Amino acid sequence: MSKAHEHDHDNRSDISLRVKAVESLLIEKGLLDPAAIDKLVDAYEHKIGPHNGARVVARAWSDPSYKQRLLKDGTAAIAELGFTGIQGEDMVVVENTSGVHNMVVCTLCSCYPWPTLGLPPNWYKAAPYRSRAVIDPRGVIEEFGLKIPESTEVRVWDSNAELRYLVLPERPAGTEGLDEAALAKLVTRDSMIGVGLPLSPDRGTE
Amino acid sequence: MPTMFAAAGVDDLIKTGGSCRVNADVKAHFVPGDKIVARNINPVSHTRLPQYVRGKHGTVERDHGVFVFPDTNAVLKGERPQHVYSVMFTARELWGPQAPEKDKVYIDLWDDYMDPAG
Amino acid sequence: MNGIHDLGGRHGMGPTDIDPEQPIFHADWERRMFGMFILAFAGGHFNIDQFRAAIEKMKPAEYLESDYYEHWLYSLETWCKANGSLTDEEIENRMRKLSKGAV
Repeated sequence: MSKAHEHDHDNRSDISLRVKAVESLLIEKGLLDPAAIDKLVDAYEHKIGPHNGARVVARAWSDPSYKQRLLKDGTAAIAELGFTGIQGEDMVVVENTSGVHNMVVCTLCSCYPWPTLGLPPNWYKAAPYRSRAVIDPRGVIEEFGLKIPESTEVRVWDSNAELRYLVLPERPAGTEGLDEAALAKLVTRDSMIGVGLPLSPDRGTE
Repeated sequence: MPTMFAAAGVDDLIKTGGSCRVNADVKAHFVPGDKIVARNINPVSHTRLPQYVRGKHGTVERDHGVFVFPDTNAVLKGERPQHVYSVMFTARELWGPQAPEKDKVYIDLWDDYMDPAG
Repeated sequence: MNGIHDLGGRHGMGPTDIDPEQPIFHADWERRMFGMFILAFAGGHFNIDQFRAAIEKMKPAEYLESDYYEHWLYSLETWCKANGSLTDEEIENRMRKLSKGAV
């Protein structure tokens, strides 16, 4: 093995061992309840995810007065659907239109709206996205396979405070008559971050 | 001293979270539409004012209300609650004339991060 | 602080590693670390600003090269050591014991 690879391998098994060590010590000292970790992991690995945000978007697409409430007070409107809590206590929803495309980043760390989108993907938390999103959002969005026309205004929202941002994508064409459940299926996580668009109904692709 | 948080409390914790909003009647120094300049502060301690915004000119778009101030809270010097605003900076203001003309960056700034601009 | 975490506008960080199949947790240690952070916060070891401030003090190269949840471990250890809940010696002793299968 090369030195770099060896070091990497050691680090990987090291970190796992170190986390085990810290956890076991904190449990012994009566400072940590391992069952509480299990509950948290179960919630964020299996229950809380972008399907929540998709329901918010689908409701906004279906109900104009809900959409108005959502844009005016994101926290309250999202709470109407029961999505509240950690890293979603103060929500702002920003709307894509024919002239405006929104994108969300946290340049300083990894802030992300957990109750509506679940935990962020690795790329959102890493240096390439965090550095480039504010200076070259169009370039980043192109990495995801989407080209934003020059005539569209791109707005990047840096979540540096405790407000958490959710993009309300534009409703795709050809979706008239679809109910909320069907609409929700078209709403991708990436469209609510702003690096993609929702699926189109006919072929199930963007 | 820290305590153990029990499993029984997890469901409630997840649903309730911990907002940093402060229910205090604090004066706002800015209103939407105000032109501001982000302060050129360079603390060695914690701040949420990124370097790319310092000294730049922006426009206040929205007042989010009153929140804990992280710069002081991080070093246990108090919550110093104050208004946080959504502030718009044009891409050209931040990155120069080569940036796309229409594009914008919105960032949330505390009162203490801003001065009024002409 | 003007640390490496303040990434907005920097060049040279490479392409976005999109990997559409990314699992929420890549390994069990990530699951445990995620849970420990939330519970340590809820248990009063640190406030959210203290938590972030500690991460910002990581060595720049380590910050950029490490896995995301290693940042969280670094911060948790910082605060547990500061309030006397843990020491480096205890952690290293426990790691030795665990690797020998002794605990």
